[in-house]
Amino acid sequence: MSVVNLVDGEDAPLLTRPYFEHGDPGPIVAALAQVPELLEVALPFISAVLGASSIDLRTKELVILRTSVRLECRYCVQSHTPVALDSGVSRAEVDALRGRESCAAAFADPRARALVDWVDALAGGVGTVDASLTATMQECFQEHEIVELALLVGATMMLNRFCTGLELPTAPATLERLASEGFE
Amino acid sequence: MSEIAEAVRDGVLPGRVWMYSNYHCNLACVYCITDSAPGVARRELPRERMLGIAYEALALGFTALGVTGGEPFLQSWMPGLVAELSEILPVVALSNATLFTGERLEAMRVLSGRRAQVQVSLDRPDPEANDGHRARENFRKVVEAIPRLIDRGVGVRLASTVDEQDAEEREELCALHRSLGIADEDHIVRPIVHRGRAAQHDMGQPATSDNLEPELTITADGAFWSPFGPSVQDGRLDLDLLVTRTTAPLETPARALLRLVEGRPPGDDARRNIR
Repeated sequence: MSVVNLVDGEDAPLLTRPYFEHGDPGPIVAALAQVPELLEVALPFISAVLGASSIDLRTKELVILRTSVRLECRYCVQSHTPVALDSGVSRAEVDALRGRESCAAAFADPRARALVDWVDALAGGVGTVDASLTATMQECFQEHEIVELALLVGATMMLNRFCTGLELPTAPATLERLASEGFE
Repeated sequence: MSEIAEAVRDGVLPGRVWMYSNYHCNLACVYCITDSAPGVARRELPRERMLGIAYEALALGFTALGVTGGEPFLQSWMPGLVAELSEILPVVALSNATLFTGERLEAMRVLSGRRAQVQVSLDRPDPEANDGHRARENFRKVVEAIPRLIDRGVGVRLASTVDEQDAEEREELCALHRSLGIADEDHIVRPIVHRGRAAQHDMGQPATSDNLEPELTITADGAFWSPFGPSVQDGRLDLDLLVTRTTAPLETPARALLRLVEGRPPGDDARRNIR
């Protein structure tokens, strides 16, 4: 049960109806539909930042899942665990991102390890990021990629707090998938 | 000329901006779309905000104002506000007219000679049939109030809300309003709308954006497609005809409404403000 009423298709405000045309759009849209003018700008932004871009989906899901774990967002961790698996993040890597295993052991690729450490600093800390972590990121990623990844961390943190604050429910199909994969 | 002014001029958007001053009412009519009654949440628009909306409406190119509720004249300052609004744009204020006695009646003199009309509700020429849908003694109170208002210089028009009315009953009703001093052109007959309490009683005709005029309607809860939009059922506001939650500046919902009317994509109404 979420904190706010999740708008359904029948009660969807006029500007939000395109988002309901193909069935249940999920609780983030259903909550944002309470404020149509925000949904109209927020969803394209979220889609652009979290969706397909010049950075591969595996890398993006790695960032989203790790950020969500650091922010302890139940909804986002549950929702993005299957997405990460489907995007090429291995089971061992997902376990590590979720804190079950050591990330240092799970990620052999130094680029991925640098990214996880940087995400931990950005999403899990306050103030400036350690200079050595930033320097390693600059060695591993191009500038435009760092820009995009920083925005991805920030947008995910925003969604983490949004979903946590509103206590959005995880889709039953996602919960079934998690159970079948041995996740909580 | 603004985009909104052009749309109003060309008939793309109706010229009237409606304001829901409040949702509470001294009556609890069986077909009320806002589920209004004495004890409901008031959802009031502050007086100063209503004046601000009127000035913004004028600046954008709208040509008329409407005030509805609830019963707007439960607010003691409503006659004075309607007088002020009429200085800005012509205004029609809806009322059940059952409160116009004593001081409240005399306060209506402020509307004498102004670009303001009070739209009074009276559904049927038969007191029993009328009162069955509205309230006990409603017919008597209304037919007493109308001449008093007219005597005090207030412009009055009549609205009858009915599901079905045969020609004989309609003629009887028209004879009544003529006898009360209301001309035929000031008598409106409209259907019961299947929203709010009417829907709970399974009354009225469906109302959607397909069959309602896109009349910008401002409430404490946001801007709606039509004054029939911000209906309430079981205490919960219907959102299907919500346009935006943002009502200030008025340009925001006005542009969103126009975009909906013209079927334009999101962002097309945004000012080019990239620097």
